[in-house]
Amino acid sequence: MSAVEPTGQPAANTVVRPAAGGDLLVRSSGVTKRFGGLVAVNNVDFNIPRGSIVSLIGPNGAGKTTFFNMITGFYTPTSGEIEFDGHPIVMKRRNKMRSLRPHEVAGLGIGRTFQNIRLFGTMTALDNVRLGANVHLKSRWWDAALRTPGMLREEAENRESSMDLLRLVNLEDRAHAWARSLPYGDQRRLEIARALATKPKLLLLDEPTAGMNASETRDMTTFIRRLRSELDLTVLLIEHDMRVVMGISDRVTVLDYGTVIAEGTPTEVRRNPKVIEAYLGRGAADT
Amino acid sequence: MTTLVVKDEDPYGHGIGGWLSHVGAVLFGIPDTYRRELRLHRPRTIALTIMTVILVTYPILNSMFLASFSRTVFPLPLPDDTTVTFMMIFGIMAIGLNIVAGFAGLLDLGYVAFYAIGAYTAAFLASPHWGSISIVFLANVPQGFPGIHLPFWIIVPIAILIAGTFGALLGAPTLRLRGDYLAIVTLGFGEIVPVVFRNLADVTFNFSLGPLTLAVEHVNLTGGPLGINPIDAPYLPFANVIFNASAGYAPVYLGMFLLVFAILFARNLERSRIGRAWMAIREDELAAEMMGVNTLRTKLLAFALGASFAGIAGSLQASYLGATTSDFFQFSTSILVLIMVILGGIGNIWGVLLGAVALTYVDKTFLPYVGQQLQQIAPSFPNPAQFNFLFFGLILVAMMRFRPEGFLPNRQRAAELAAHTQADVEAKVDQIVAVDSQAETEAAIDADPSIVLDNTGPPPGQDETGPDARSPETTDEEREL
Repeated sequence: MSAVEPTGQPAANTVVRPAAGGDLLVRSSGVTKRFGGLVAVNNVDFNIPRGSIVSLIGPNGAGKTTFFNMITGFYTPTSGEIEFDGHPIVMKRRNKMRSLRPHEVAGLGIGRTFQNIRLFGTMTALDNVRLGANVHLKSRWWDAALRTPGMLREEAENRESSMDLLRLVNLEDRAHAWARSLPYGDQRRLEIARALATKPKLLLLDEPTAGMNASETRDMTTFIRRLRSELDLTVLLIEHDMRVVMGISDRVTVLDYGTVIAEGTPTEVRRNPKVIEAYLGRGAADT
Repeated sequence: MTTLVVKDEDPYGHGIGGWLSHVGAVLFGIPDTYRRELRLHRPRTIALTIMTVILVTYPILNSMFLASFSRTVFPLPLPDDTTVTFMMIFGIMAIGLNIVAGFAGLLDLGYVAFYAIGAYTAAFLASPHWGSISIVFLANVPQGFPGIHLPFWIIVPIAILIAGTFGALLGAPTLRLRGDYLAIVTLGFGEIVPVVFRNLADVTFNFSLGPLTLAVEHVNLTGGPLGINPIDAPYLPFANVIFNASAGYAPVYLGMFLLVFAILFARNLERSRIGRAWMAIREDELAAEMMGVNTLRTKLLAFALGASFAGIAGSLQASYLGATTSDFFQFSTSILVLIMVILGGIGNIWGVLLGAVALTYVDKTFLPYVGQQLQQIAPSFPNPAQFNFLFFGLILVAMMRFRPEGFLPNRQRAAELAAHTQADVEAKVDQIVAVDSQAETEAAIDADPSIVLDNTGPPPGQDETGPDARSPETTDEEREL
């Protein structure tokens, strides 16, 4: 640990800015995360309107995943505020920043997928989805040990709704296959089904089309749009495939070196010289 | 969509009545299930039936005539009642440790501590140890007899509670540790508990808090190195059966009875949301936490429930032997139970049971028999029964070489073991596949001029480790993400 924290940044603004209009599901202001001397995310204000698809893009190491991890309670921000659906995810207690634990955040209604697929490989596809619903199951260990009527009913309902989710992602005939025996694209969809089982209001997708070919990418894009319209979801994407980002996002936020360099509709962001510079270098922006 | 079908009538019922009718339905359904099994898997069902009948009637057959055949007709000695009773005791322990180590994947090297706690619970509650008071309740001793005497049937639930509480107490501060560190802490706990029992023979302390003063002088709490005896044997009123070491096959059936409950409980837990959460934690703790599993509480539950099984085993052992001393609860017993679990098939209830039966047989019947035979042939040769752990070690090495997943493996655990050798290959294949599809996507984008910003991201599947990897604050676990 470095003994002295760099104090180059002014104290983060801790006042939540009024909503820019519309109903905000996530509001965050002045979010900063330092790892030792390195500022991974620097004073970011970032809001997600309810029912929208928002993308977070930026070059490698721009702090996208770090920001993701702060929303899910995995990292505690060095300073700043994050609020989800009216519940603070980060709070200051006894002068120390504290964050809800990831399972509490999941319980509030944030489901996520991972950049590298992290399914439970030797559990069946169905059990993977059933695990996602764990946070909403009420039965306790004594119910489980005695197989009480309530527990059996809950298990049956859980099984039924998990099968519905598998049907939604077209995996119902692979329900009893091990997750890791599924093809790559199926695993990506299974991960989404597992995230949906947590009954999220906000779905965080970390590079959902990574490693997919053009037609699989198209399918995934259609699928994400369908999710939003059918399940009333709000979606936050991290994505490198610009066709996906430009195709489905309502709003795009561009991070570079931990700060927001542009924000707006896909068309606005695409024309922004700062963005072109960050991605393609100064020369590209000038021409 | 994810709408639930609302059924007109509830097939599960409610409350205790619903539970009883469910249990009744399961019990009355057994003949039907059996007939169906017989029709579908005839040879397997018949073989299992014969095996079960032999196992269940074995103690009676043994006492009737098998024992006299032993060592004359059969090439190997048959286990006697004591050995079979210990098979049941170790079976309960192995099933409990399997919850901790097999289901939840937590390495517990101090499991014997909970065994000791169970045994001393029985010793405190059913012996003349507390000679200055006399509490006799439904026990097989005359009223007014010195000491606390509760019946075994009450002691078992108390032992479950106390051992489970100690499991939770040990788990609460330590389960944040992972892997090797947890193993070391549990190892320490396993060493401390017997030492505490050995040394609390002469307690003097003075504790005062305001008006409350608690002074104790030269009180023998645990009987010291001599332990506590005699402990009341389990006793079945009306039928007038005593289950102690000289009661023949009766205690075997007591052990079997408790073992059946242990199997049922463990199996039910495995097939529930808690079992799934344990499996998920074992596979990927971080992903489980992100999916809403309270990993700390779930692991604590595994620890406490596992410990309570050892509490049952401990109280049975102490009541059966009629005495307990801290010498029974060595580190080697922890290791023995762990070997049973690994040898039988970690994660599989029937596997660990087989491991418990096999190793108890080797330990208590086979090796002493070989020793006896050797003494007759070569008296100067060391007795192999004194080197039992040498043999267990050899067995373990052989198993790890030829069948690392155990006799009756759990399918998932076997796959996880195999994954360690296959992982590299699979990872490489994935990479190649990913790179191929990436190239395809890029080609498609090149053909599509409407895209201004091209792919500038990292190769798919590669982590964004940039800031995290260099940070001294980031733990290994965080870097994985």
